Amino acid sequence: MEFFESIFSDFFHSSGVVDSIRVTVIMSFFSTLISSVLGIFFGLLLEHFNFKGKNIIIRINRTLMGSPPVVIGLVAYMLLRGKGPLGFLGWVFTIQGMVFAQVIIITPIICGMVYSYAIRTAPAVRSFAKSMGASKMQINLLILKELKNEIYFSILTGFSRSISEVGAVFLIGGNIKSSTRTMTTAISTLKNAGEFKDGIYLGIILMLMAFIVQSLADYLRKEDEYDENY
Amino acid sequence: MKITNLKKQLGDFCLDIDNIEFEPGMVHGLIGPNGSGKSTLAKIIVDMMPMDSGSIDYGTLSQSDITMTSQKPYLLHDTVYNNLIYPLKIRKIKPQENEVDALLDKCGLLDKKKQYARSLSSGEQQKLSFIRALIFKPKIIIIDETLSNLDPDSAELFEDMILEKQFSNPITWITISHQLVHINKICDKVHFLSNGKNIQSGKANDVLLNPTNQIVKQYMSSTEISFSMLDFNNKEK
Repeated sequence: MEFFESIFSDFFHSSGVVDSIRVTVIMSFFSTLISSVLGIFFGLLLEHFNFKGKNIIIRINRTLMGSPPVVIGLVAYMLLRGKGPLGFLGWVFTIQGMVFAQVIIITPIICGMVYSYAIRTAPAVRSFAKSMGASKMQINLLILKELKNEIYFSILTGFSRSISEVGAVFLIGGNIKSSTRTMTTAISTLKNAGEFKDGIYLGIILMLMAFIVQSLADYLRKEDEYDENY
Repeated sequence: MKITNLKKQLGDFCLDIDNIEFEPGMVHGLIGPNGSGKSTLAKIIVDMMPMDSGSIDYGTLSQSDITMTSQKPYLLHDTVYNNLIYPLKIRKIKPQENEVDALLDKCGLLDKKKQYARSLSSGEQQKLSFIRALIFKPKIIIIDETLSNLDPDSAELFEDMILEKQFSNPITWITISHQLVHINKICDKVHFLSNGKNIQSGKANDVLLNPTNQIVKQYMSSTEISFSMLDFNNKEK
């Protein structure tokens, strides 16, 4: 870790930029992790059960999938601020608060994607597994296994959204140097300070991260294309 | 296995079976025009679909003794081998490699054992699905149009495999098909469904060659297989 920090410290001239990379990685990792658990669980649950109001829930989720992060950031801020219902957590201007806002943004995306994939695949898997005499637990495990590529793809999409998000983390985190400043908010700050060089370097790292994530997603999509022969 | 007063409403269609019996150790043919409820009945037997009312007496059998293969089988995102042994895996049975290889060899899939199953041709996928249903030795196998996509040689191979199995270790087969030559060759008993009802059940010869019901008669006369051809095959049998 220190080795990487020394490399980046030599590379960037503005202070706090290396910290913004650290904050971005920590925030994106935890928000994607929590959103994945929630999104996959609720996505599969929505596919599995039919109940009154299911269509409304799906529609609300789809709306949230495309909601502006800055609006979510504002709502999260109102919930977390001192006078808000979750003010006791003391998460305003902390990484936890940023993770909280991002979970609200990313969970519907992962949930919606997993649900869309599951309604296409799960019924066939369920019928097949039943015809083979599988137990309920074995059927559910098989659905997860058969959907693994789609689930990975949903997680990667969530992570991409997390690392590139600005609005909500700006509102909740407050863009505090070395504490809640992420790569995206750092770029914005560097631009205001006229430090274009560091901003561009940071942008390149961000693009590189997005490229790696996208390459992984493409690899998974290639397997899906292979399936189309079937 | 005995089905009594089974009802299942699906939109405008209603499957309404008063009584149908699948005697053990026999090959049963389930025939009838498209939309007559054959596949729906099969799905209800395998518990893929719930029935609205009625009862199915499975006797001493449990759901895990019954399996079904369909025209478009579901193959796991895995190799041919892992697809084949899936029913054994969920039963925690260690696969006998020589038995697995023999089954694969019989239908020409041995050299594709480690291949991604979904890359197989549709005919090969059906072959794989058929032997996958056989591998865990179920007591009832339902074949829903599985042999339809196969070339004549492969279809004959599977017909022979069914007959061979019946000779050595008989189980109950329910085969759904529009190919009356196939039905005539392998079935002991035939059940004719029309518009959701079982309108005639009986020995294969009786239903196919001497139908008593007017709808069955009409169906037989409209099929491309002539009675004389059935009769010819029957004599060969």
